[in-house]
Amino acid sequence: MSQALIDAIAEMEDEKAVRLAGELLGGGESPLAILDDCKAGMAVVGDRFERGEYFVPELILAGEMLKQISDIVKPHLTQGGDAPKLGKVVLGTVAGDIHDIGKDIVNFMLDVNGFEVHDLGVDVSIDRFVEAVRTERPDVVALSGFLTLSYDAMRDTVAALDQAGVRSGVKIMIGGGTVDDGVRTFAGADAYGLNAMDAVNLAKGWVGAN
Amino acid sequence: MSETTWVNPDLGKTPAELFAERNQRVLDAFAMRVPDRIPINLGLSYLAAEMGGVSHAELYRDTALQARLVVDAAKRFGPDNTLGPWHDPRPSQAVGDRMTKWPGVQLPDDSSFQFNEHEFMKAEDYPAFLEDTSDWTVRTYLPRAFAELEGLALLPPLGMSAFGYYNLFNSPVLLAPPVQKAFEAINKAAVAQTAWIGEQMALNTMLIEQAGVPPIAWLAALIEAPFDFMSDTLRGMRGIFLDLRQRPAELLKAQEKVLKFQVDFAKATCAALGIPYAFIPLHRGSDGFMSIEQFEKFYWPGLESMMLQLVDAGITPVVYYEGIWDQRLEYLARLPKGKTIGYFQSSDMKRVKETAGTAMCIAGGMSNSLLRSGSASAIREATHEACEVLGKGGGYVMNTGVMELEGCDPDLVQVWCDATKEYGVYR
Repeated sequence: MSQALIDAIAEMEDEKAVRLAGELLGGGESPLAILDDCKAGMAVVGDRFERGEYFVPELILAGEMLKQISDIVKPHLTQGGDAPKLGKVVLGTVAGDIHDIGKDIVNFMLDVNGFEVHDLGVDVSIDRFVEAVRTERPDVVALSGFLTLSYDAMRDTVAALDQAGVRSGVKIMIGGGTVDDGVRTFAGADAYGLNAMDAVNLAKGWVGAN
Repeated sequence: MSETTWVNPDLGKTPAELFAERNQRVLDAFAMRVPDRIPINLGLSYLAAEMGGVSHAELYRDTALQARLVVDAAKRFGPDNTLGPWHDPRPSQAVGDRMTKWPGVQLPDDSSFQFNEHEFMKAEDYPAFLEDTSDWTVRTYLPRAFAELEGLALLPPLGMSAFGYYNLFNSPVLLAPPVQKAFEAINKAAVAQTAWIGEQMALNTMLIEQAGVPPIAWLAALIEAPFDFMSDTLRGMRGIFLDLRQRPAELLKAQEKVLKFQVDFAKATCAALGIPYAFIPLHRGSDGFMSIEQFEKFYWPGLESMMLQLVDAGITPVVYYEGIWDQRLEYLARLPKGKTIGYFQSSDMKRVKETAGTAMCIAGGMSNSLLRSGSASAIREATHEACEVLGKGGGYVMNTGVMELEGCDPDLVQVWCDATKEYGVYR
């Protein structure tokens, strides 16, 4: 474990972090160990975001560092070795809405908190949500939407999951824009969240990880 | 007053009388005076289509129908200020706009207009942007952002125009087919935008003459906080937030540039139109995007300077505080009293009233989800509370947070408007 690499990621020293990762790899450190350091660094970033010390710029820069280091390290990976996950989440911005900021932050925070996240992207059709729930068998479905128009798409997506017979196997959270408890009731979701920490806490509660 | 005995105070009045009363009501609220009652602003665009049984795309396609539907909705609800569809897809289509998506064009007919951010300006473009913003914009940015304007990349450096007579030697490039295509596209967009403005003027005249409803007056000069300007149409959110960490000095210098020409533009536009308002919708400065330290360094100084320069020029900034501003309200409270207007989306409106409300007229307070799927009694209760708390002492405009009523239930909107007229009376 390289505390220097963990610290560089946590302290937003992007150039140093990438350089250290390269040096570690050149010095014979295993690629998996380097990625574990990244994970530890990202966990610190996630903690600081949760505490209100870091904001979106830091999440984006952390993501950028992770991408650059992964690009260096992954060609040298010879084995898989992902740690077991807390649970699986299917995430997406509902049909008709292309906003991705809130969704991406939720993705980041679920990921650093130990969830396996299947991000379906934006303007996700009802059929794609149903298909993803059938194939991925997630614990949680997270529906994002910024537009007021998305209330209807959230409701229709939940209804389609119900009709497909997969609703009872998942918990559904909604979030984004002006979503509130009225929208949750309207959409037939199990819960709504105002921010990414709510999403993490809801998901942890549902998989019994709190 | 009970529901059964309440009589709509607008009944029996002519459109001219209603227009005069409503306009005064809005002006009084804007100036932080106490009007006769709380004015209501309604964003009647997609709701008008829904009430008329046509798609959102059809509302754009048939502007005569659009005018009729908006006026019908305005007559029914009787707001004090209204905003119809504030834009049109045709100019974007003419230039091959890559940053907007429209119902009936790239999106299904009943979807909503959406802004699709790109990183049209790369991080490595900062030096060129800072050295000669106009040249970079015309020859590099426009070809990236608009498919039909790619030919502008063939132009010689714009500064060569200052070579006077000698630059005429370079003029044949203007006849190159891609350059001609770009000029034609710009011309087509300008013609479409001009036609649309004519149609909106006709719609506004109908609103005034037939419904007695004043159209909102503040959309003439649209500008953005310098940070948002760099983010929305240039760097995109990912790019701008990386710049904030990786290129802070260049980002601040770029903001100085876009601040200056936007203020110049707003002053000239307001003078030309005789309308003393500039509209500033805010996007990335709200709670959650950046820390207070980052806000103080990268966001607020540019925005505050913009507002103060406008105020000094006799222009009222009408600012849409999108998202939640609960952690930043004290900055707003320090703005010159009565010189700016704040529309709020999702902030805690009671706190807004107590803080920002001491310095500006505030608008907002009704939730879209309540108007979508709430009960009439819940809406009356929420309206009553907003009138009592937010309306106290004047300086308040009843409005939904998102300024748009898409998907709302017209009967519930009616309940809300009537309740505002009932509970919003100042005694």
